[in-house]
Amino acid sequence: MNAYIQLTLSQLRLFARNKSVIFWTTLFPLFLMVMLGLFLGGGSTTSVSLGWVDLDQSTYSENMKETFLSTEAVQLEEWHDVDKAKDALEEGDLSIVMVIPEGFAKEIEGGGEVTSFDVYYDEVNQAVAQVGFALIDQAVDDINKAFVDFQETVAYTPIGLQSADLTYLDFLVPGIVALMILSSNMNGVTAQIASWRERGILRRLQSTGLPASTFIAAQITARFVLNGAQALLVLLVGIYLLGAKMNGSWLLLFFYLVLGILVFMAIGFIIASLAKTPEHASPVAGFLSFPMFFLGGIFFPISDMPEFLQPVVYAIPISHLADVLRQVMNVGAGLIDLWIPTVVLFIWFAASFAVAAWSFKWE
Amino acid sequence: MQNRIIQVNNLQKTYGQVRAVNGVSFHVHAGEIFGLLGPNGAGKTTTIEMMEGLRHPDEGEVYIDGLSVTRERKKIRSLVGVQLQSTSLFGKLRVDEILRLYASFYKRSVSVETILNQMNLDEKRKDLVDDLSGGQKQRLAIGLALIHDPKIIFLDEPTTGLDPQARRSLWEIILALKRQGKTILLSTHYMEEAQTLCDRLAIMDKGEIKAMDTPDQLIADLEMESAIRFHWPGEDGPFSELKAVTKVTREKEHVILYTHHLQDSLTSLVRWADQVDQPLYDLHTRRATLEDVFLHLTGRSLREE
Repeated sequence: MNAYIQLTLSQLRLFARNKSVIFWTTLFPLFLMVMLGLFLGGGSTTSVSLGWVDLDQSTYSENMKETFLSTEAVQLEEWHDVDKAKDALEEGDLSIVMVIPEGFAKEIEGGGEVTSFDVYYDEVNQAVAQVGFALIDQAVDDINKAFVDFQETVAYTPIGLQSADLTYLDFLVPGIVALMILSSNMNGVTAQIASWRERGILRRLQSTGLPASTFIAAQITARFVLNGAQALLVLLVGIYLLGAKMNGSWLLLFFYLVLGILVFMAIGFIIASLAKTPEHASPVAGFLSFPMFFLGGIFFPISDMPEFLQPVVYAIPISHLADVLRQVMNVGAGLIDLWIPTVVLFIWFAASFAVAAWSFKWE
Repeated sequence: MQNRIIQVNNLQKTYGQVRAVNGVSFHVHAGEIFGLLGPNGAGKTTTIEMMEGLRHPDEGEVYIDGLSVTRERKKIRSLVGVQLQSTSLFGKLRVDEILRLYASFYKRSVSVETILNQMNLDEKRKDLVDDLSGGQKQRLAIGLALIHDPKIIFLDEPTTGLDPQARRSLWEIILALKRQGKTILLSTHYMEEAQTLCDRLAIMDKGEIKAMDTPDQLIADLEMESAIRFHWPGEDGPFSELKAVTKVTREKEHVILYTHHLQDSLTSLVRWADQVDQPLYDLHTRRATLEDVFLHLTGRSLREE
């Protein structure tokens, strides 16, 4: 028991005295969240500012404008000069510019060729542009139906998407917490254990007759304390300073934090055991965690991912962790609503812990 | 017969194609300092790690205080203290913190104060391990090996990489441990260290023990207790026929004669030089060292050059 306490304390001291741990696993995610939150969150809906240039001035174009005006996520600004609107787009004042060409109405009435119009967007700001495209798709779809007197054979009920009054920040904060757990554990455990092994620290510990279980228990405890504090910091800043929503149960949120920490810690142990040297371990951990940053639905919604990647995305644990944290915080979902991702996370936890325990070696 | 506290029987360990340790047997008496002397890669560390129970031998067995290391590893932990080669310390812990940490692993332990005192680290107790000098780190590593008051201490190349002064101060500490009645097994590739510290030693090369005895006896056995070195650029004379000379070697423009009777060889060398009317320049004599023993046994130098 004394050994367990001393080991936990020592590990906490090592964390506190390691400036790169503090920077990369705490300050960096916090900074990232605040920056992204301020840039993209803007405190309101992930809104798309749409520059509307109507050179046709027909009933059709008016119709379309109405559609966009009624879309909550779109802020429509009317422009009269195409070039000026494009300049504003380049300046970043507009997210997207739509140009309805002269004779648009005639073309539609004439039938035949598919009628088209131009949409300009900022290639740098893909995330917002994607949102814009989705909205335009929706609008164009509606208009198409209306124009061709589309007879609805199947009635559909628009399901009130929860994103209606959610901001990008609401999306981002749980993602950052998930990211922090991922990187702190996977990269942190891997780098530390591999380097301790290389330097003979583990062998020295082993030579004292210290049971591996005591060592690992202390590692887990210390990392819980570290990650718990980090996650709490990010959550408090996200919720109380930036204004992210917290609609669910803190207890359930905490439960998922614990589950996430366990999953990624175990994966970290596995990588550290399989890699021969720290020179191998860190790139392997990086190689595995880097795609998770992007595929895990931390910065972008999973639905925006290319189709062929979707199965991968749904298999990796980070997407489920981000998902459950988001559901709890954003919608206030309960354990029953979240049984699928919860089961997936549990499977990851059980499997990776079994492999970690099996593959752990002192030297 | 003295108490054989460690008994090593026919240890073997192979890594892939390499026979790291090839049939090593020896014993260590209670209370002595036993040395394993050999160059890097001789198999010293592997031997020590098998003795500590950190590696499993392919063949052979080690008994410590009558207990088999492979079968009763747990019991042996409290009997032996281990200082491993290289930097096996937590750099970001303070000296007293790491001592307390290691103390917590054992049922019984010496106080942190005692160790700090013994290892001359009193003033460094609040320093981070990273900020210690090489010598201080080694003293700390030995201090950690002593924290549970073990009977036997394994020191794997304790002075490698230290400056001569730090090395000497560590020797003092090791000799003090011996006076306390500890049994010490030490590996080194410094012959001076082996000569100063070890009561008995085994010379290892390529996974085998080449010779084993007290340092003095090892040198005496070679029948070349002394060496005579002088500048002799020309052709060799009949040096091997000089009195008491056992071996003649050459180092560039110098000739080295090994002898078991310095005075006889020296007189006959000088007499011969007079006869052929050739002056002897740069003439030195010295006692033969373990370095010479190693050279004789393996045909190679201990130092890697």
